[in-house]
Amino acid sequence: MDGSTTRTMLRRAAGLATIIASLATPALAADKLTYFTWSGYELPDFNKSFLGAHPDGVEASVFSDDDEAFTKVKAGFHPDLAHPCYDKIARWNKEGLLQPIDTKRIKNWDTIFPVFKNLADIQAGDGKVWMVPWDWGNTSILYRTDLVKDPAPSWNLLWDKQYSGRIATIDAVHDTPVVAALLAGVSPFDMSAEELEKVAAKLREQRPLLRAYTTDMTSVEQSLASGELVAAMTWNASATTLKKQGVKVEFMKPKEGMLTWSCGFVMLKDAKNIDLAYDFINSRLEGASGKELITQYGYGSASSAAFALVPKEELDRLQLPAEPDEVLKSTVFTGPMKQNDDLAKMFEKVKAGG
Amino acid sequence: MSVSSESVLALPAASERQRRLFGIGMTAPGALATSVLVLFALGVVLFLGFRTNDGSLLGGAFTLDNFKAALTDPLYATVILRSLAIAGLVTLATVVTAYPVAYYLAFHAGKHRALLLFIVTLPFWTSYLLRVFAWKVVLAFNGVLNSALMTAGITSEPILAFLNTPAAVVITLAHAYAAFAILPIYVALENVPRSLIEAAEDLGARPTAIFRKIILPISMPGVMAAALVVFVPTVGDYVTPALVGGPNSTMIGSMIQAQFGKANDWPFGAALSVIVMLVILAVVVVARRADKRFGSRT
Repeated sequence: MDGSTTRTMLRRAAGLATIIASLATPALAADKLTYFTWSGYELPDFNKSFLGAHPDGVEASVFSDDDEAFTKVKAGFHPDLAHPCYDKIARWNKEGLLQPIDTKRIKNWDTIFPVFKNLADIQAGDGKVWMVPWDWGNTSILYRTDLVKDPAPSWNLLWDKQYSGRIATIDAVHDTPVVAALLAGVSPFDMSAEELEKVAAKLREQRPLLRAYTTDMTSVEQSLASGELVAAMTWNASATTLKKQGVKVEFMKPKEGMLTWSCGFVMLKDAKNIDLAYDFINSRLEGASGKELITQYGYGSASSAAFALVPKEELDRLQLPAEPDEVLKSTVFTGPMKQNDDLAKMFEKVKAGG
Repeated sequence: MSVSSESVLALPAASERQRRLFGIGMTAPGALATSVLVLFALGVVLFLGFRTNDGSLLGGAFTLDNFKAALTDPLYATVILRSLAIAGLVTLATVVTAYPVAYYLAFHAGKHRALLLFIVTLPFWTSYLLRVFAWKVVLAFNGVLNSALMTAGITSEPILAFLNTPAAVVITLAHAYAAFAILPIYVALENVPRSLIEAAEDLGARPTAIFRKIILPISMPGVMAAALVVFVPTVGDYVTPALVGGPNSTMIGSMIQAQFGKANDWPFGAALSVIVMLVILAVVVVARRADKRFGSRT
């Protein structure tokens, strides 16, 4: 092989590389909104008007725990919009992952309940916010009324030795450890090292009784329906689903309080499709979209416009008051946890038997 | 289109330079993949294991604390031992069940051999997750196994002990890795010289003696290879325990995954990975020693 053929080959290789690059670029720059959300939150019903204006305009990827979502984004996954819960916002912000969202561009901003609009960690100043609240809901015990006879309304049911091996709990820091803290008499949101140890002791007490630590709610629902599980920590969507199927279940009102959470849209710092992102948020905040969230899952919409579209009987059936303030009087709002990382590490160890 | 032998001979002898270029061209992709995907990645893991966790991608400063914590906390030893035990049971179950299949394939399958080999690999046409879910369907509380037992009148109530237990993890993994064990053992059995067996038969050896003294020792390298191929990946598995194992089947892979995920402590996860790799290395070294005793060429 002489010099000229080597050059020809190099030129050919360069040509090939150009072709490959030109093939790959459109795929990367496609004008699609990338949206990273809780599994089950990607339903087209939640943003019909967006899809009407931009057919096939959103590419959703899902997670089952927003701590995992956080590490994925931190490690270099860059969607335009993500959907973590309020308690994580400070953490995402601290890593510099977010950019403020202009509330002037959010049409239905005024219909969002003040209790969510005024959350401390979402304020970015100057009419801007770090998160646009979209949904809220409760975490409690879902139990089989025929298999657990008249339980005392308390989170202690998930620690009841009678039901050893028939209980499951949620594998997320802002759920099970928070409840363990409540039962241990410790503030879940700010605790000392000794208090953390108390929470750990409470969690260790529960571990031998559990069938599973899981975020796979479909499995939990199936196990409750079959009777493998008699009680499990779930979100209210599971209660709605099983009641629709005619399974004898009840969503408990524990005397220590249900957990109430709120989640919403955040815009990533290097979001490419900002206009699409605003269109998407606006579409999701329409009353009709929120109505789907309420009727399909039994979760609350952050917008009063959605509640206005759902008849009162339906809301009563879903045990969902049209005023979140009313709920929050008796529940524990999941706010930012100062020791989130320590709790997460401790929880992982307890789960493994430590 | 065929090239006649004359035209091949007529080609001018390859120059030294050409041969070198060809050599470089052939080894470059492998060398690149090895150095970038394996060595560099391993280097990063090792580096990360010695860093403090300050939330940044590559850690804050150098420290030995991660290894200290992992080696002094008895939890990690327990979980590593549990993983070794589960992987060991999986290996045993896989090899013991794979051997008869491979034996049949090598000695008795006759003209159906190709078809049977094809059937052995058939489950691999579906995703691993689907196979795990299939086991969930079988082992579940209202699953196939419990329904069968109840219909047959053997039990009156569904048995809870099938799913979400370490046993479920062992069964699922043993099934998943079956083909990986069958193929190397089959190859080893294929290579057993038939003349040795005939000679033994001529000398009046009984079938059990032939198996024990000829077939088993000669096929042992295949068994060892199968055991390693099954053991090494199962020690670090985390998907299977997460899907079919309960709280008592947390394996070290799940703990490492949690450090990189929820717990958000990459350096500690890296340190755990390094420790597990060293443990597996030790097991492999011991296995190789045993392998040598059977005269393996590997």
